[in-house]
Amino acid sequence: MTLLSIENISVRYGKLTALRRASITVNEGETLFVTGPNGAGKSTLLKAIAGVVTPREGFIRFNGAHIAGKAPEDIARMGFSMVPEGREVFGGLTIEENLRLGTGMRADKDQAARDLEQVYAVFPMLKDRKDAQAGVLSGGQQQMLVIGRALMASPKLIAIDEPSLGLAPKVTDDVYATLLKLRDSRGLTLLIVEQSATRAGLTGGRMVLMRAGQVALEGDARQLVKGDALRQAYFGYGDH
Amino acid sequence: MTAILQILFDALSLGSLYALGALGIALIFGVMRLVNFAHGDYIAFCVFAMLWPSIDAAAIVFAGNLPTYLLIPLILCVGAGLSVLSEILVFRRFRNANPATMMIASFALGFVIKYLLLMLYSSRPKSIDLWSNLSQQIEIFGARIPPLQVITICTTIVILLALTAFLKRTRYGLEMRAAAENFTMARMLGVRANLVIMLAFALSGMLAAAVGLILVTQTGTVDINMGANIMLVAFVATVIGGLGSLPGAVIAGFLIGGLSSLMQAYLPADARPFRDAFVYGAVIVMLIWRPNGLFSSKAAKQRV
Amino acid sequence: MQHRPSIIARTWSTPVILIAILLAVALAAVAAGSGPFNQTVIEIFIRVVLVVGLYVFIGNSGVISFGHIGFTCLGAYMTAWLTMLPAIKKSKLKGLPDIILNAKLQYGWGLLAATVFAAICAYVIGKVLMRLSGIAASIASFAVLAVIIQVYSNWDSVTGAQSSVVGIPIVRTIWPYFLCAVIVVAAAYLYSISRSGLALRAARDEATAAAASGVDIPRERLIAFVISGAMMGLGGALFAHSVGVVTPDTFYLGLTFVTLSMLVVGGMNSLSGAVLGVVVLSIIIQVLRWLEKGIDAGFGVISIPNGVQEIAIGVVMIVILMFRPTGMTRNRELVWPGNKLSADAGALPSPADGKTLKT
Repeated sequence: MTLLSIENISVRYGKLTALRRASITVNEGETLFVTGPNGAGKSTLLKAIAGVVTPREGFIRFNGAHIAGKAPEDIARMGFSMVPEGREVFGGLTIEENLRLGTGMRADKDQAARDLEQVYAVFPMLKDRKDAQAGVLSGGQQQMLVIGRALMASPKLIAIDEPSLGLAPKVTDDVYATLLKLRDSRGLTLLIVEQSATRAGLTGGRMVLMRAGQVALEGDARQLVKGDALRQAYFGYGDH
Repeated sequence: MTAILQILFDALSLGSLYALGALGIALIFGVMRLVNFAHGDYIAFCVFAMLWPSIDAAAIVFAGNLPTYLLIPLILCVGAGLSVLSEILVFRRFRNANPATMMIASFALGFVIKYLLLMLYSSRPKSIDLWSNLSQQIEIFGARIPPLQVITICTTIVILLALTAFLKRTRYGLEMRAAAENFTMARMLGVRANLVIMLAFALSGMLAAAVGLILVTQTGTVDINMGANIMLVAFVATVIGGLGSLPGAVIAGFLIGGLSSLMQAYLPADARPFRDAFVYGAVIVMLIWRPNGLFSSKAAKQRV
Repeated sequence: MQHRPSIIARTWSTPVILIAILLAVALAAVAAGSGPFNQTVIEIFIRVVLVVGLYVFIGNSGVISFGHIGFTCLGAYMTAWLTMLPAIKKSKLKGLPDIILNAKLQYGWGLLAATVFAAICAYVIGKVLMRLSGIAASIASFAVLAVIIQVYSNWDSVTGAQSSVVGIPIVRTIWPYFLCAVIVVAAAYLYSISRSGLALRAARDEATAAAASGVDIPRERLIAFVISGAMMGLGGALFAHSVGVVTPDTFYLGLTFVTLSMLVVGGMNSLSGAVLGVVVLSIIIQVLRWLEKGIDAGFGVISIPNGVQEIAIGVVMIVILMFRPTGMTRNRELVWPGNKLSADAGALPSPADGKTLKT
């Protein structure tokens, strides 16, 4: 079943076009990787879904409702959790405060408390240091924290921008292992922007390759990584 | 010893006023990067709200006749209301504008409020008798202190504690701190932008009202320009404290209050009228030394 | 630098058009005969000097200054000191140094001295202030204004403190004011196409890139600050000679507000905006002033309460900022029809435009 469908959206920053009539769908329960070179419009795509930038044209439907042009907080409250590039922890807040922020939309306080315990169960390290300022955590720990924070909202879909950025390969392995575990145990849908197609191939799932603001190629991640089509699409057809 | 005690009380009560003013400005700056030049005029507006509009020389006290336990909440509500109203009518439309544009808009709004007061009440200062018995001096350990100073200091401490509790212990406080650090990310976690910003404006307006009440009790006069000086000091305090840092604003407010009181006490008599000039001069020199303020927050450095 | 001739070729018409507008205003005053209208036109020329002075710094550097009216105060008192009768000075301003106390200069020398004095002060203050940027710089500039006004309102023996200094020779013909406005417009134009002006505007739009390509931003800002400070000082001296009286309060927030609003309404980043803003808002102010005094409409005198004038300007300013933050001119320069429009790089949309957060 389609959870998120993006139809022909375009986004411009001043004179710069970041997305031109891009269309992507995400099905419930799947892992979708979005890859592509720098400046392909991957991050802009996530920002457009999150409501941080407003598309000039096109539709975005999430869980049956139109969300293009809606405020970020409203989209978040519909079950879309975003983990932006660079992690964006609130460095001046404690770890527990960071996590509790994620529960803003939940009326049921008991449920929120149980969620907090569950997140701590997944990331014991966070519980050990729950009263420490989030700013002192290492990159990998911050990545865990923002994933945990995104989980607190019990989202239907988590979108993550470059989870491996700035992390050691070993730490990246841990992050991905956790993500997949969560997907399977909670029925989460994952939308992951990842510059490394190899990583997508290792993890498995569906993959979309973006180039110059458009979808250039789409298919099964493992298959695509093996073939030549990916490399050609990545660098452009006969550009040089 | 008594002289030192006297200076200490002067410093703390003056610093209290500055700290409350600086806090009002820093709260709004934190959530929307707005340096609110209308803040001083909020202060004056709240005080004038106690009077019936008239351009006569004598003040016609109206709401000011209410019993204290009604008057104070009423004036606080006036401050909050004016502040929230200015957010809805004016500043909401500048959310995406750059800080310079917002700053000029607030400057213009301040003038609109000031001249509205001039239109309704005339530009002449008027005297008003509000709790004047608080200004009669009493003796504490040999120093002659007006009770108002003690009340000012205590009120400020209570306000600071209440605000800290609000920010640290409540859900809205948490959301506000998060929004001050990274507004977009907070929104992506479901924090309602309009609510948080309106809350910040309401708190800031109440702080303006509190400053107004203290000021009018101290001086016994109302004047359309009465907020201007406090506002300027408060700006300077927020810059010294590191734009966006609430504790920094409060500490800097007290520092400037202390510096002013010391200069008042120890400058030669000829130089005393220039006290404020010396204070601002010292502040500018300090800014050269630390352009981001004494206690600059990381968030402010990145974005300002 | 080989681009210089082409810049002049593309942009020379801007100052010519602006000066033509000023000339039209002056001729209109002459045609209407002397009278109350004369004073209004003199006011317009003084405001042109002040607002263009503001533009030279704010427009080119992008840093909002709330302190420039301080230099106007410095200039006004300087010319007062030099041109008043020594007898008056000896009774009211005893603290002045003897050389000034005994001086009785022509007003032209007073204007020159005021300009130079303001420039020197701007250099000293700017040397310190230009190391700040953004909001901290704006607030510090505000503090500078407060310091200047504080000193001038308390230094009894030299400035007469808060009481008015009277007896400054009054100049009633419009031509000296017109001439100063023309000089200031021309100077502002020359600065904006100079190497420093171009570098500063580049830094305004792309600070990092400009710094990386070797623009010394504090230095270029200082140059603009000194030039604009000199113009503000000249404006203050002209003001002093137009009314014959100065008090420190005249040069505080009220004048800061009026001049800044003219610049904003016209368009902060363009010289044409500065001049047009003055002309348009001056007309609005004049009409509102008449209404405040009262107009006989046949069946009775219609008048509006005091304060409406400032409220109206404030509202106009907010509305302009809301719906057209680039002002009436959209930050472009007026050019001869047929010439390629928009000499100013500032008219180009900046890359940040698209990063809008919808609320």
